[in-house]
Amino acid sequence: MNIIVLIKQVPNTSEVKLDPKTGNLIREGVETIINPDDLHALETAVTLKETYGGTITVLTMGPPQAMDALSEAIGMGADKAILLSDRAFSGADTWATSYTLGKAIQHIGDYDLILAGRQAIDGDTAQVGPQVADFLGLPQVTYVFDIEAVTTDYVVVKRRLEDGYERIQCSLPALLTVIPGAKHPRYPLVSRLLLACREKAPIKIWNAADIRVTTAEIGLDGSLTQVIRTFAPKFERQGEFLEGSTSGMVQNLIARFKENKLI
Amino acid sequence: MIRSNPEELIRKTIARFVDAEIIPVAQQLDKEGEFPREIFQKLAQMGTFGIRYPVNKGGAGGNTTLYCIICEELARGLVSVASITAMQCLMGTNFLFHHGTDEMREEYFLPAMRGEKIGCFCMTEPDAGSDLGAITTRASEVEGGYLINGMKTWVTDGPEASFYTVMCQTDPKKKLRGIGYFFVPRHFPGVSVSPRFECLGTRTTPICEVAFRDVFIPKEYRLTPEGEGLNSFLKIIAEIRAMTAALAVGLQRAATDDSIKYANERVASGQTIGKFQLIQAKIANMATNLEASKLLTYKAAAMIDAGRDALKEASMAKYFATEAACSAADECTRIFAGYGYSMEYSAQRYFRDTRFLLSGGGTHEVLQSNIARWAGV
Ligand SMILES: Cc1cc2nc3c(=O)[nH]c(=O)nc-3n(C[C@H](O)[C@H](O)[C@H](O)COP(=O)(O)OP(=O)(O)OC[C@H]3O[C@@H](n4cnc5c(N)ncnc54)[C@H](O)[C@@H]3O)c2cc1C
Ligand SMILES: Cc1cc2nc3c(=O)[nH]c(=O)nc-3n(C[C@H](O)[C@H](O)[C@H](O)COP(=O)(O)OP(=O)(O)OC[C@H]3O[C@@H](n4cnc5c(N)ncnc54)[C@H](O)[C@@H]3O)c2cc1C
Repeated sequence: MNIIVLIKQVPNTSEVKLDPKTGNLIREGVETIINPDDLHALETAVTLKETYGGTITVLTMGPPQAMDALSEAIGMGADKAILLSDRAFSGADTWATSYTLGKAIQHIGDYDLILAGRQAIDGDTAQVGPQVADFLGLPQVTYVFDIEAVTTDYVVVKRRLEDGYERIQCSLPALLTVIPGAKHPRYPLVSRLLLACREKAPIKIWNAADIRVTTAEIGLDGSLTQVIRTFAPKFERQGEFLEGSTSGMVQNLIARFKENKLI
Repeated sequence: MIRSNPEELIRKTIARFVDAEIIPVAQQLDKEGEFPREIFQKLAQMGTFGIRYPVNKGGAGGNTTLYCIICEELARGLVSVASITAMQCLMGTNFLFHHGTDEMREEYFLPAMRGEKIGCFCMTEPDAGSDLGAITTRASEVEGGYLINGMKTWVTDGPEASFYTVMCQTDPKKKLRGIGYFFVPRHFPGVSVSPRFECLGTRTTPICEVAFRDVFIPKEYRLTPEGEGLNSFLKIIAEIRAMTAALAVGLQRAATDDSIKYANERVASGQTIGKFQLIQAKIANMATNLEASKLLTYKAAAMIDAGRDALKEASMAKYFATEAACSAADECTRIFAGYGYSMEYSAQRYFRDTRFLLSGGGTHEVLQSNIARWAGV
């Protein structure tokens, strides 16, 4: 079974702040990690490989620093990795991102299953997985937390719903977007991390020409949406504590309601 | 060619492990004082114990610098977990790796890399600590092997161990030149292990005495060829000191980080205590000592990786970084004041754990006299 895993390198935690002047993310000094859902996609892939054999190829589009995410994926047990890195890819919206990933997957060619995270903790759209599936004309199942059976023709997976789950049989090749399952993603093997740092590591870097796309189709130019402004919302509503005796506080409250014409 | 930087990648991975698996339970583990089996197994599964050994021989393909990075990060979480790991990576397995036979490799070394067996290092004796020339544990040559007789103490991990690397005297007349290392499996007849000591700090690390009474070991269990014991000792002691310095760097980071956080939170006389100049002076000293400790430590580690003699640099690093750790832990308890005295906070643990670093790898009185000699007096 040949599996492609889509991973994204994201800033760690929710502490990321916006520059109030430019509206851009302040990325300096913020540690980067593999998007948490993608760690579960990787764990799922490695577990499948341990049972059914095959190869795991990890794919990411990002700046050169995204190499660390690929090295960690190799550490967890991926066989090969590809970094899509080209200035022309930058400024992509989710459409252009998905298109680029889709073209790269076509270039890789041989696969039975594509796994992605459900959602990235920075962009948060949860659009990339479904859009890639759509571009490639593959069936997709989102919110997968368990794979129950795998044959050469189909998979049976569990898909999380708000109040339960669905069991779905889906023909292969397919794309699944993954959420945390029962198993905690493994830590990388130290020896494989060091292997990933070597020049002869099984990691390739592809640019736009390598995957046969033109600059008009990708990056900012290929994006269908335009960001007009990014800003951190202002907290304008403020809570207020009333103090004093119970009857005093109630009278005070009623007076405020009247003052604001609420009663 | 773009590739990840191995030092940053290993540090990041171990740091993530420490933040998720050790720091949340560090206080609890220290209180319970049990061998941290679960964490030890997880570190084994990651292949951490092979960091200094080549990949084609069951290791991870790293070096001393990476080993020190791992020790530093773990010590930031819990010094006793770091010391157990340090022992398994270096002293517990080093001579077995370099001089053991293929059978010994299969039976002991590879299981140790997988965390199934634990190795220890026995040099200190009840009547010989700093002065190792005075050890009396004897390895006497007999038909087909050696008989080991004597008593070792302060054996880190001793109660959990499956095998011991034991420093023995082969010829008392030769003093230090007569010492050598011998491999003794715990299950061999004549080996007895004392109950664990009750200790001040690093409470999850079990320590005990081990006695050897007419223990017969086969010839190939001698781990250092005749006349090479002292050289082997001088080489490993440099690496032990670099590693101990790294543990001290990790402990300093924990004490310094906690102090800074507390100084920015705690309010006294209407301002955070970090606004007081006397608190600022403490933080400034901690930050500066930490930086200097890192430079000394990783300089020594880099020299070892380059195959250079690093005994002087490693001794200076161990001495400086450990004194700085003692001072950082001391200042941390002062910044926390009343809460620094409470068992609920980590400050007291840092304070106790520094004592472990003081004697391991050589006392500072001995190191100072060595450093003074190298400096020219
Ligand atoms: C309107 C709009 C405009 C944007 N403009 C810009 C811009 O100008 N500059 C800019 O830098 N960014 C821009 N972005 C952000 C960028 O498009 C997204 O970060 C990216 O498309 C991924 O979307 P997401 O973070 O929501 O991921 P999600 O769709 O939430 O991610 C789901 C899964 O898809 C996979 N995945 C996502 N991204 C990648 C990737 N890069 N490589 C491999 N797998 C991946 C992962 O498995 C992930 O778990 C824009 C986004 C939007 C919505
Ligand atoms: C937690 C812990 C774990 C340990 N783990 C191990 C282990 O795994 N294996 C092992 O073999 N050992 C281990 N040791 C032992 C450690 O190496 C010794 O404690 C150390 O070598 C000092 O020996 P000693 O305690 O006998 O002190 P002594 O040598 O008796 O020293 C007593 C005092 O005299 C001073 N002194 C001694 N000689 C001189 C000198 N020449 N010049 C100036 N001052 C001097 C010392 O500095 C010290 O202050 C461990 C110790 C501790 C505390």
